[in-house]
Amino acid sequence: MSTPATLKDKAILEVDKLEVSYHRVVTAIQGVTLEVRRGQIVALLGNNGAGKTTTLRAISGFLGIDDARVSEGTVRFCGKDIANRFPHEVAGMGIVLVPERDKVFENLTVQENLEANSPRQSSTLSRMQEAVYAYFPLLARLRGRQAGYLSGGERQMLAIGAALMCGPELLLVDELSLGLAPIIVEELAERLRAIRDELGLSILLVEQNAHVALEIADYGYIIENGRIVMDGDRERLTGHQDIQEFYLGAGGSGRRNYRDVKQYRRSRRWYG
Amino acid sequence: MQTLINILVLASIYALISCGYVLIYRVSRVLNLAHGEFMMLGAYGLLATASSFGAHPFAAVGVASVMALLVGVAIYFVLMRHMTGESVLAAVLCTIAVGILLRGLITLTWGAQQHYPMEQLGWVNSSISVFGDARISAASLGLIIATAVCYSGLFLFLRYTRWGIQMRAAGQNPLLAAQRGIRLNGIYALAWGLATFTGGIAGMLIACDSGLQTTIVTIGLKAFPATLVGGLDSLLGALVGSLIIGTAEVLLINYVDPLLSDVAPFFILLVMLIFRPWGLFGTREEIDRV
Ligand SMILES: Nc1ncnc2c1ncn2[C@@H]1O[C@H](COP(=O)(O)OP(=O)(O)OP(=O)(O)O)[C@@H](O)[C@H]1O
Ligand SMILES: [Mg+2]
Repeated sequence: MSTPATLKDKAILEVDKLEVSYHRVVTAIQGVTLEVRRGQIVALLGNNGAGKTTTLRAISGFLGIDDARVSEGTVRFCGKDIANRFPHEVAGMGIVLVPERDKVFENLTVQENLEANSPRQSSTLSRMQEAVYAYFPLLARLRGRQAGYLSGGERQMLAIGAALMCGPELLLVDELSLGLAPIIVEELAERLRAIRDELGLSILLVEQNAHVALEIADYGYIIENGRIVMDGDRERLTGHQDIQEFYLGAGGSGRRNYRDVKQYRRSRRWYG
Repeated sequence: MQTLINILVLASIYALISCGYVLIYRVSRVLNLAHGEFMMLGAYGLLATASSFGAHPFAAVGVASVMALLVGVAIYFVLMRHMTGESVLAAVLCTIAVGILLRGLITLTWGAQQHYPMEQLGWVNSSISVFGDARISAASLGLIIATAVCYSGLFLFLRYTRWGIQMRAAGQNPLLAAQRGIRLNGIYALAWGLATFTGGIAGMLIACDSGLQTTIVTIGLKAFPATLVGGLDSLLGALVGSLIIGTAEVLLINYVDPLLSDVAPFFILLVMLIFRPWGLFGTREEIDRV
């Protein structure tokens, strides 16, 4: 990329010792520390219930109905503390979330889904819409279709497209691959990388599927039981023995018993 | 012919009131049981402006309409905003309390006697003949026109404008709407404002047509079955429901007994609730969620 090294290396998002509790009692994550630099794609990997969604939600803001709050730690975006802000304020600053579930307005058409957003600069609106339809030509063909009838893959495209309409600097994507066929996931991942390259935004990508995530990510964090247990660039993570066994499904040799345990964990991840 | 006109007028009254129930329910899932009182407040608002702007009747109507709009916005920000995150039932109870309070305040301020805002404005509610023998009063004609204008305006607003689309979006998934940068408070306040505005217009026109007394609030109560019959979350449903209730009521008055007029809407509502609880045009799950 052509961005000067100084700007590129600057952290756009800094999460420090983040702790989130639901209903004032359940502590879902405790001490999550991570960083996204400008122009980077960062992956956050972990099993079911590890706290990935909670981390993204804490960054993008809770509503009163969630009864959740950041009880400890800080979230800094471009140097400003944004913990416990309202979602629409955070979106206005340039962080937009593609949620795990309920990611489109089902009663609106594809076109209306794109139009419903409050963009940060309204001047770029029609340009942005063209860009979205260019990234996802399928959406252009479906523009009059009600979003509730879209397939999972089409929904994911629409959700990403609608998020882009807000003009984000940082895109948070929760489970890009959830319930989608591998070929679609592959395509979406490629598209995300192109979007990052061309629009110059940063992406924090939550995944259970480490294959996909590590293919496009520059850097990755592993979260377990609400804590970051490991981090590193793509080479380090893909080369790491545990990651290979836990998340990439490559069996090591020797340690037979240990592997069985992991085999169990792995299948629990697939079927659980 | 006269029967047809009567049906049309009554249905317009119900429809104009109903759209307020629908608007608020659709965006926030809250049933505004004070809507009848807001309609009443709109009518008394006109009474107040008529006595202060007596010389300029159009200014009086304009100011009263704007006041009706602002009342809804104010109620949202002062009261209902704090109910987000509470259960829907709590919010509904809150609207009941607001209704009782408003009714009390209005009776205290203006008394229980009959007022005639039309006269105060210096207008005459002349009777116009249509289709030969049938007649309609000017205010009733105004009601039909206002209903037509409000409904087409709302349909276009919800379908084509950004705020309208955002309103539908927030009604379907408020969390996602907030995450996409939509200010929920603004959208909810707008819905409240539009609801009290249309309700207020209805109240003013009814008061112009047949005089103003505190009993006007029962008309708001009777519009509620019309809304439910159509399905709480559908404007089209509110229109059709009002037509059904209006027809039934006029026919019952004409051919059976005038005393049935207050019972008719609720009787039809009961029948409806037994066979199709989510209404004619409502969405099935919408009701289950309450
Ligand atoms: N609304 C909530 N109320 C109470 N506890 C919650 C709530 N949401 C999540 N949790 C708890 O917080 C923990 C982390 O959940 P989270 O959804 O962040 O996991 P996740 O990593 O996204 O999992 P998955 O891969 O299944 O999506 C879990 O133990 C979960 O039970
Ligand atoms: Mg999750």
